Amino acid sequence: MHYDAVIIGSGPAGSVTARFAAETGAKVLIIERRAEVGVPVLCGEGISQKVDTYKVLEGKRWIATKMQGARIFSPNKTMITLAAEYAGNETGYVVFRDIFDQELARGAANKGAELLLNTRAVSLLKKNGKINGIKAQQFDETIDIEADIVVGADGVESRVGRWAGIKTTLKPYDLETCIQYTLTNIDWDSPYCDFFLGKHVAPGGYVWIFPKGKDTANVGIGILASLSDAGKAKYYLDKFIASQPALKKGQPLRILTGADPVAEPIQSVADNLLLVGDAARQVDPITGGGLMHSIEAGKYAGETIGKAVEKQQFDIKMLSEYETRWKESFGKKLHRNYVVKEIMLDMDDKTLDMLADSLKDYKFEEFSTLSIIKALVTKHPSLLVKLTPLMKLARA
Amino acid sequence: MAKHKAIVKKEKCLACGGCISVCPQDAILWISSKAVVDSTLCNSCSICVKTCPIGAIVWEGTEDAL
Repeated sequence: MHYDAVIIGSGPAGSVTARFAAETGAKVLIIERRAEVGVPVLCGEGISQKVDTYKVLEGKRWIATKMQGARIFSPNKTMITLAAEYAGNETGYVVFRDIFDQELARGAANKGAELLLNTRAVSLLKKNGKINGIKAQQFDETIDIEADIVVGADGVESRVGRWAGIKTTLKPYDLETCIQYTLTNIDWDSPYCDFFLGKHVAPGGYVWIFPKGKDTANVGIGILASLSDAGKAKYYLDKFIASQPALKKGQPLRILTGADPVAEPIQSVADNLLLVGDAARQVDPITGGGLMHSIEAGKYAGETIGKAVEKQQFDIKMLSEYETRWKESFGKKLHRNYVVKEIMLDMDDKTLDMLADSLKDYKFEEFSTLSIIKALVTKHPSLLVKLTPLMKLARA
Repeated sequence: MAKHKAIVKKEKCLACGGCISVCPQDAILWISSKAVVDSTLCNSCSICVKTCPIGAIVWEGTEDAL
């Protein structure tokens, strides 16, 4: 078997990469270790409506709910409301990720990409010191898949990058450890995605409620792994649900665990290899949202693969075009938000409450970092000291 | 006291991959869609045990007590 590119992982990053590569005429194979694309779901299932502009999804079957915005609740339950256009990447649509992923994979297949399920990458193949494919385990058989480019779209736990010498091991303070129930029979009919903050709610993270139809919602939690202990995420989530009268009668349709990298962007290319999606840490360190980035980066990755195949040049110099494009588009934002994440982790509950109190009546139409900071310190001058690092960022 | 090794209780693992992503020894891998610790590589650092959101990773020899 010889391919131009073999893509490890059939999540959004892998499928979109495959789609855009195949569209240029490249011969592409996606391998997936699981038995079904998109299953089990490992996600809160929120995505920005910006996804529509990429035209990689047909129809509406993948949409569960269209949202109007987000509400953030500080530790003392002060509420800030954000319209969808300012709420970042995680609100817009709540989707059915299994259908969503299968639609993206269908799009790739329609452009000519091939798929193998139950197939797990085991190691890189090398010839004359150069990567030229992967060794994989398909059911009970070991197979060699030759390819000029290997794409690691293998998620937060990516091993492909490590095999190529890219350091992808996450420090515990760069990982949110998550658990989520899809609860039904709840008294919840809201057009908002809700986020709950606080040391006693979710240490170093937040609880989310993403509505999925009128009496159903994804209720989940992410806590910082460095503040976690065995089973803590589940403990905090169960405690939160028990404290909410509207959720108490809820019955679970699904339980899932997740892991979300909240790290600095990393190197995503090497000779004959690229990383995309969670594997490349293309995740917003504040919100933990990554779907939109995976789709955008997947497009760039696919287009770069197309050019590399046309020129038959697969070295890091050629593939760097991909890294340059995604880092220019949203890499700087990820870096800035990583700094903000560190500032927010330093804030105690009282500071978060003051922040929320300053912002609760703020009109988010005039959205700029500096104007928000001005609104904050006008009401609570003592916030000034805590926000100095933010102001430096805003000026940078 | 000999150090215990981490092991994944496979009936409890929901396969998020969090432990794999933080293991500094690269000692955890997927086998049949569950995380499995290679005890020859585990250095008992406890990062995976603390990271697991549902407490599916325990110390070898203590699993019956939990």
